[in-house]
Amino acid sequence: MKPIWRAREFSTILILALEVLFFTWYLWPAGGGAHPFLNLDNFLLVLKYSSIYGIAAVGAAIVIIAGLIDLAPGAIIGLTSVVTGYFFVEAGWSLPAAMIAGLLVGVLAGGVSAFLVVKIGLPPFIATLGVMGIWRGVGFIVTEARFYDLSSKLPQDWHVAGVSVDWAGPIIMVALALGFHWLMRTFQWGRAVFAVGGNETAALFSGIRVGRVKTLVYIIAGLLASVSGVVLAVVQGQGKADLATGYELDIIASAVVGGASLTGGRGSVLGAVLGALIFGVLRNALPQIPGATFYDRMIVGVVVIVIVVMDQMLVKRSRA
Amino acid sequence: MASELAFRDVSRSFGAVKALDGVTFSVAEGEIHALIGENGAGKSTLLKILAGIVQPERGQLFWRGEPLVCSSPRQALERGIGMVYQEMLAFPNLTVAGNIFAGREITKTGGRLDERAMHARTKALLDELHIPVSPDTPMEQLPAALSQLVQVARALAFDCKVLVLDEPTTSLTDVEVDHLFREVRALKARGMTVLFVSHRIPEVFRLCDRITVMRDGKYAGTFDRETTTPDTVVRAMVGRTPPPRLTPAGSAHVQAPVRLEVRGLGKRGRFSDVSLAVRKGEVVALFGLVGSGRSDVLEAIFGTRPADTGTVEVDGAAVRLNSARAAAQAGLSLVPEDRQRQGLCFALSQRDNIAIPRAEKIGAARVNRLEETSVCDAQRQGLNIKTPSLDSTPDTLSGGNQQKVVAAKWLATSPKVLLLDEPTKGVDVGAKFEIHGIIRREVDAGMACLMVSSDLPEVLALADRILVMREGRLQGELAGATATDDAVMRLATHEATA
Repeated sequence: MKPIWRAREFSTILILALEVLFFTWYLWPAGGGAHPFLNLDNFLLVLKYSSIYGIAAVGAAIVIIAGLIDLAPGAIIGLTSVVTGYFFVEAGWSLPAAMIAGLLVGVLAGGVSAFLVVKIGLPPFIATLGVMGIWRGVGFIVTEARFYDLSSKLPQDWHVAGVSVDWAGPIIMVALALGFHWLMRTFQWGRAVFAVGGNETAALFSGIRVGRVKTLVYIIAGLLASVSGVVLAVVQGQGKADLATGYELDIIASAVVGGASLTGGRGSVLGAVLGALIFGVLRNALPQIPGATFYDRMIVGVVVIVIVVMDQMLVKRSRA
Repeated sequence: MASELAFRDVSRSFGAVKALDGVTFSVAEGEIHALIGENGAGKSTLLKILAGIVQPERGQLFWRGEPLVCSSPRQALERGIGMVYQEMLAFPNLTVAGNIFAGREITKTGGRLDERAMHARTKALLDELHIPVSPDTPMEQLPAALSQLVQVARALAFDCKVLVLDEPTTSLTDVEVDHLFREVRALKARGMTVLFVSHRIPEVFRLCDRITVMRDGKYAGTFDRETTTPDTVVRAMVGRTPPPRLTPAGSAHVQAPVRLEVRGLGKRGRFSDVSLAVRKGEVVALFGLVGSGRSDVLEAIFGTRPADTGTVEVDGAAVRLNSARAAAQAGLSLVPEDRQRQGLCFALSQRDNIAIPRAEKIGAARVNRLEETSVCDAQRQGLNIKTPSLDSTPDTLSGGNQQKVVAAKWLATSPKVLLLDEPTKGVDVGAKFEIHGIIRREVDAGMACLMVSSDLPEVLALADRILVMREGRLQGELAGATATDDAVMRLATHEATA
């Protein structure tokens, strides 16, 4: 076994820890009052917010490792919230049934992307760019710019087995990250994903069913985006066509900051979740800095570049 | 003769590896000087120093007696050193003229490109080198040989004094090599100094005046072509007497059961009506010139480029024609020609590379690290793969060892039939002999082997039978034990069915 500090995810954890330390120090209240950043409520807020990205980023990391790209997760999240909302609010289905309907959106959407890429042979960027527009559009057609209000039909201050439903997103995110990490490391299928991303031709020659691997990768990514969508719909209590607009780039950025290489063959699902947390902390803490309001978007952009550059330097040094 | 270019005590290490260790030799003005050595002998590092990509740690380069320091490829070019790299650094998306002037375009005032001047200069250069293409041809439409010559033209465009050719013939056919050599000789006649890097000994003896040999990062001697022999040079390269070539066992396998049976295989526009059988314990070579369809046949048997008609049987059982996976499960293995593109995943460890086909073949769901470690270690030992660790990625290995990793991938699946496409392409002499030994050993153990190779000595040394292809059809069969260069080449080039 490699020592822990040589693990791929270690540098990402380090960056996250430094970030948390920085904001803890920078936002330390002068008068000795409550800390605006370092408290349990805020911690939950960060996790809740990050989990929407984080769950989908697990899928994005797998897609990127396979040497593909997926621009559809934001649109899938939106459409999933709409479909779940429609069946729960309009059609009067039970919540579990409505949630399953929502998850099927992701499976179907991933299947369509896979069909276009694997069977039709479209470049992944173009295929998923088109698909992104289609799912976003379907959401608007279904809702006609209305939104479904799930919260009115859900219990107030809802607890499941004594745990607030607010924790659902973070718990699901961590469980999925660990689960998929295990899957990618322990099973031949996971290694095949790395092989396809690393050298598709060699993978084909090795007897790997490349088309099947890619299909499953897109379906998993779609499904995970739908999980994000269901969580968003239930926790926020809304089903709305324009939810999660623009999330696809943040989701991809999370995976990349977490170590996924856009040339394929390298990456980590745990890293992707950590990447989502890095952004979650930034988005949470920056607005609390007086005067930083207008800077936060720019800072987030700079951080993406800095982290990836740092990571490349680390990788180079560990190879030398 | 005056010394044009001299290396004095040049040393350079990468980490713990000493790539160059006190190399001293000089190239005389106006000669064609060969630099040869096995992969990993330090040729590439020496060239990188000459080109200004890598700096030496110790020692110096001299240019007509003056110390020469190149800190960038551009500077080297300005000093008159024209490099033509092995991996062709061409821009497939630009025209020939665009390639020749890339980075040093002729401009008019205001920085506008002077297309007309570049076009005219390119035309002149192309005529000079007898390259029959227009300056406006897109580079990607050029065959390998011509794009190699365009690289030479690029070096000439900058008035180079020394032309460095790094393994320029790797992907060329014989006719193309002749063209290249003619032009190189013409350049020599005009006073150009040429440094020719290669590991093909016959070629070096054909072209070069003097031969400098490198071994393990050290200078191993300079020989005059007139007074030396290929054997002497090979001994200097490998540091020992080469092992005797493997003589095929000849017709000893006539009674052995057929392992691979191919009947009436055809693919429109590529090849037609190919029928052949390979018996247990037999190496059959499929020989033909580039474009004769031999690699297509191999890939059709393996299912990566499926045939339109015909059948393939392994041990009497039919194999599906359109699936590499089905072929692998039936016991076929293809060691592809291009290990960079088809053979290896450079993002994965050597261990994973070796283990994947086996895991796919046995349909493993979970990765069994323990078992794979023992399988991989056995392959490492059996094939003598020289690697610091199987956990590192394959890009750290020399070409010969990379090829062994590719071979290990397939031997680990215990195949019944081994299909080899150019098994020793781009591999140095020592590793080549080793790979030949491995092939013989595996075949003697009961495998059947169908090999495509354009290396005629290799075919003659290894094959029990030689099938010759031309224009997509089998032209005839020769017994390995009695075949001669002449007979094989006659079939491959012009003579009707023997």
